[in-house]
Amino acid sequence: MLVGFTTELRRAGLTLGSGDVLTYCAAATVVDVTDLVDLYWAGRCTLVTRREQVPAYHRTFVSYFLGEPGDSRGASPFSPVVRAQALAMLTLPETELLGEEQQEHAAEMGYAASRASTAKAKSFAACTPEELAALRRILRTMQLAPPRRRTRRTTPTRHGRLPDLRRTVRESMRLHGEPGSLHRRRRRLRTRRLVLLLDVSGSMADYSRNLVQFAHTSSRASNRTEVFCFGTRLTRITRELEHRRPDLALDRAAAAVTDWEGGTRIGACLDDFVRRWARRGLTRGGIVVICSDGLDRGDPALLESAMQRLARLCHRIVWLNPHRGDRADFTPDTLGMTVAEPYVDELLSGHDLASLSEFARVLARMP
Amino acid sequence: MTRPESVPALTDALREVGYLADRGLATTVHVALSLDRPVLLEGEVGVGKTEVAKALATVLDRRLIRLQCYEGIDTHQALYEWDYARQMLAIRALSEHDLADDGSVDALFGPRFLLERPLLDAVHAGDGAVLLVDEIDRADDEFEAFLLELLSDFQITIPEIGTIVAERPPLVVLTSNRTRELHDALKRRCLYHWVGFPSAERELEIVQVRAPGVSLALAEAAVAAVHRLREMDLAKPPGVAETIDWVQTLEVVGAEALEPEVASDTLGAVVKDRDDLEQVREDLGWVTSGA
Repeated sequence: MLVGFTTELRRAGLTLGSGDVLTYCAAATVVDVTDLVDLYWAGRCTLVTRREQVPAYHRTFVSYFLGEPGDSRGASPFSPVVRAQALAMLTLPETELLGEEQQEHAAEMGYAASRASTAKAKSFAACTPEELAALRRILRTMQLAPPRRRTRRTTPTRHGRLPDLRRTVRESMRLHGEPGSLHRRRRRLRTRRLVLLLDVSGSMADYSRNLVQFAHTSSRASNRTEVFCFGTRLTRITRELEHRRPDLALDRAAAAVTDWEGGTRIGACLDDFVRRWARRGLTRGGIVVICSDGLDRGDPALLESAMQRLARLCHRIVWLNPHRGDRADFTPDTLGMTVAEPYVDELLSGHDLASLSEFARVLARMP
Repeated sequence: MTRPESVPALTDALREVGYLADRGLATTVHVALSLDRPVLLEGEVGVGKTEVAKALATVLDRRLIRLQCYEGIDTHQALYEWDYARQMLAIRALSEHDLADDGSVDALFGPRFLLERPLLDAVHAGDGAVLLVDEIDRADDEFEAFLLELLSDFQITIPEIGTIVAERPPLVVLTSNRTRELHDALKRRCLYHWVGFPSAERELEIVQVRAPGVSLALAEAAVAAVHRLREMDLAKPPGVAETIDWVQTLEVVGAEALEPEVASDTLGAVVKDRDDLEQVREDLGWVTSGA
């Protein structure tokens, strides 16, 4: 029966290996199995590895173990009374309803903000195959090298500031206690984290396709890249882009970004990003790249406060605005852009391949 | 060493030492103890993730060994390190004759010169310890990979001494604030539990346990106010630790009821962001009284 439950969970989208199932069964033996609440928690602590999976687990559990009496799985060993008690106890605490409800709420907000919001998934397949192939060839040759910073880890070196006692003592041991030369270490360098925030709303749809391609190449270049899409709301697509084949990754990103070509609420999305990700330390010491035209339908004050906070939480902010084009004397033309500009360290265009390679150059030159 | 036999027994034992665990957390810990698995606790800041380990150490009558993670932590700080300065002195003190003798050289890499760091300490202590690996998300991924190896077989190999194996593994509690996603491999080794904010009733209980002597009315008002603050879309919603701080602060300033003036003066104990403070001050009447 437990194995049946895990099969059901897999259907609900949880990744479970047979090892996990074994652990789950072992856990079930140490709790009181006739107590449904214990069974619930035993499964939840062994099978769920991410907070986002909790609602799916909860739903599956309720339908599998507490399904209507007399349904196809009539062999349920629990009496109606036990089930009623368990149902009463297993209400999800309010703070854990991160999943769908919040998303639905966000979606409603989105509709309110922009009449143009269509919230439908747009297939990347709309790119012609020739276009895609050509783009990919070129993008693949572009090496994105985010700047590096000194870490607290050290590495042996000839001229460093820190003494390497371990090696020095080892050597002097070999020399029977005669002090040898002093070995040294220096602090290691590490690439900064790169966080891409891509606007995929209607006004930016033409560019977003290239940019998702670009984001994919970037995330392949270094595993310290995080990618987010925003329009009427914010979606993290890093995990979708993890799949090795770009086509697959693009398909998945399309599925995740459901507000494709809806309106833009940059302020609200950035604010959301700052609250949910940046404050937790995602951007600390990192480079944040925002790609948007700055056409914001929300409150400019919100955008300003979000930018201000973001600027304090990261190392550098780069803004790619395709409307800038090749003009060097570009002045911000949208309200959102004007509000955000003081907090932006580099303003580039990113409207074609040449400007994307310029972006890569600027990135490498950054301190 | 007594180990609570069932989930309710564990909950009661934790309650006795002042930690109110909910059903999920108690079950997770119970399963972890029975299966010798590490526990991974994730959750908002200040909901008592670290406190769990401390309470467990008291309940199980074990020693708490804490490893605070930070960026750049490596094996020398987490596992063991040779005391090089003393080794150096010892070498200088050895005469030509002593050096010919293998024993005295071997002694240089003996327990006398070994500095035990938390992880080695925990392996030595075995099930006499609760190992708390705090804020694992702050360490970098290299360290995570290393930890993975340790958590699977609880043995440490020191080339000069040999392999040290824990006969019974210690109870390991890992905490993470989710500043970054942990590797799936590490998560797979652990039992996962998300610690959320408690309900108002439970939080009131917690406050009463942690800050005894505060009047019930004041504690009730403060807890209700904190719950309203959490509804408020703040950049940093207050955790349980903040609630306790606030109640204690209110007691120190001699407040008898949660008046807006007093609340405004002591708000720094519970809201710790300038923008949030401004937002809360505008709505202080509603926060303190709910109307």
